[in-house]
Amino acid sequence: MYFHAESNDEKFEITVNESKLGWKVSLKKEGADWIHYEFTKDDYQYMDDTISFLFKNSSYLLDVTQHGVDYTVYTRGAFQTIKLYNEEKILHESLKAVGALGGSDSLSSEMPGKIVKVFVKAGDEIKRGSPLLIMEAMKMENEMRASQDGKVKEVHVKAGDTIESNTLLISFEKNAKK
Amino acid sequence: MFKKILIANRGEIAIRVMRACRTMGIQSVAVFSDADRNSMHVMLADEAYNIGPAPSLQSYLNIEKIIAVCKKAKVDAVHPGYGFLSESSDFANALEKAGIVFIGPTTDNIKAMGDKIASRDLMKKAGVPIVPGTPGSIKDVAEAEKWAKDIGYPIIIKASAGGGGKGIRVVHEPAELASAFRACQSEGLNYFKDDRVFIERFIQAPKHIEIQVFGDKHGNVCHLYERECSVQRRHQKLIEESPSPSVPPDVREKMGAVAVAAAKSINYLGAGTIEFIFDNNTKEFFFMEMNTRLQVEHPITEVVTGVDLVQEQIKVALGKPLSFKQSDIKQTGHAIELRICAEDPYTFIPSPGKIRRCRTPQGPFVRVDGYAYPGYEIPIHYDPMIAKLICWGHTREEAIARLQRSLTEFMLTGIKSNIILHRNILSHPTFLNGSYTTQFIEKEIVSEKMKKLFMFVDEHVFLVTAAIEAFKDSKSRDVAQYTVASRWKQFGRQKQMRT
Repeated sequence: MYFHAESNDEKFEITVNESKLGWKVSLKKEGADWIHYEFTKDDYQYMDDTISFLFKNSSYLLDVTQHGVDYTVYTRGAFQTIKLYNEEKILHESLKAVGALGGSDSLSSEMPGKIVKVFVKAGDEIKRGSPLLIMEAMKMENEMRASQDGKVKEVHVKAGDTIESNTLLISFEKNAKK
Repeated sequence: MFKKILIANRGEIAIRVMRACRTMGIQSVAVFSDADRNSMHVMLADEAYNIGPAPSLQSYLNIEKIIAVCKKAKVDAVHPGYGFLSESSDFANALEKAGIVFIGPTTDNIKAMGDKIASRDLMKKAGVPIVPGTPGSIKDVAEAEKWAKDIGYPIIIKASAGGGGKGIRVVHEPAELASAFRACQSEGLNYFKDDRVFIERFIQAPKHIEIQVFGDKHGNVCHLYERECSVQRRHQKLIEESPSPSVPPDVREKMGAVAVAAAKSINYLGAGTIEFIFDNNTKEFFFMEMNTRLQVEHPITEVVTGVDLVQEQIKVALGKPLSFKQSDIKQTGHAIELRICAEDPYTFIPSPGKIRRCRTPQGPFVRVDGYAYPGYEIPIHYDPMIAKLICWGHTREEAIARLQRSLTEFMLTGIKSNIILHRNILSHPTFLNGSYTTQFIEKEIVSEKMKKLFMFVDEHVFLVTAAIEAFKDSKSRDVAQYTVASRWKQFGRQKQMRT
């Protein structure tokens, strides 16, 4: 099986092959060479509540959660979310016309809270990292920033609004397909 | 002796108080909101009562409801923990009226230290140093120049009504004063409609050092030395340690004596903490505020002095004298506490949700005060701290090494946590040499210089694991699609048979 992957804003190609005895996984970072790994089924084992992985003889205890194309891997107190697309998923994503791999055309709230301040209005051009609004939740003020360059299509909330989780906050103009 | 104590709190501090109660043979009563039915403090208590909907105002901050439970459960005393109603003189009064003991300071203590401006004056009278500054606002540049000379450069000019970084200027030399003064006045006027400004000494290498004090009903007051809490994000503490690597022994004794004198001057009862801003360049200390309750970071004092502070609070509330004299208190070794929070390690945005796996570290010289367990759903209504990890060592280096070891064992998945942030801080040279100030996280961790936290994990492990799991998911989906195709076939066959 062949995947496109995105991790920490870096692009990779990954192939996975399973046999009775084990796994063959190959990685290629964009611009670099292929690196090949081989593991036995013993090396990558499922335990009661974790995965025990002996990777190059280093012992890791892992947990993985999946959400759409996002796979979040937890180990040793660290965690990384990796986007994985196989052919079927790439086709699916392009049909959704969200533009570049991993793009998103809206900002929604992850938890209930209160809007403290809104920095943008419809029509504003925004750069990746620029602040969009401040939301108060869990006793703290959280500044939400743009995850990529774009243009604000519509702002659905204003300062003082109390909102539930998964509330649409801001819509962005869809990016042109690359 | 108390027969029953109600803990008007939740989370790890409720469990901490219950442990002290159990050790003393006292029954513990828990209160919980609708969101906390499955919280660990409910499961560990002897009795538990629901006090209403999740929002704090309707539950943990509702004095009437809590007093009603006190009467129903026939409790003798209430421990308020920290936060919530712990510094509410209304709560302390209501309990007194109901004939229930409030395990904490007197209502007068709470009122006196609750007013930031009044407490500053009280402390000044008790001989506690306060940040050199003008007593009120100053009218013009001439007056400013005179005061600045007295206070000593560098100074900070602040607009009285200012905030959010507006109306603040730091002045290093007399030549810059006039323009900075005018800039603050005009910002004050333009942003806050108030052009009053005042001047304070600018502390260049500020550290947050606090002294634990304890008073009983017999007039005894002792200190239990200091805690340094300078590693902060968003003005909230993240890492605390005792002793402080930056306080010289003579200054330490002086701070302790000053804190005791201050507490004595207001006849302070119970556990309290006097917070100072400490200038690491000059080793001077100045009063910031006093917290009339037990602090989150109390464990490091317990570990280093051997005193169970919560048991001591209960004994003092019973009218017993302090179980130690000042000469009994010694700091042995070094303790450091890390606050493990359910939040993004980069943005500090809270990450509520369901914890999947949860394994806390164990082994020598490790203490974990937490309340998470596998499958626990972290509620959105309260703060994101889920555990405190404390390690002790003979030396600071040993304590840090044990913390790093413990963090590798700390498994917390399903939600984001700041474990990796702590690992990075504990490896950072500025933390290791002890010179860190309250600006440490802002300037050295969150800055451009340190864009990505070091993961301590081979990056390929993440990629390979994700790929193998994605492969497995795809394989099982293919099987399902095959079944779907068969169902279409079945439908087609059935349709044909009907016509």
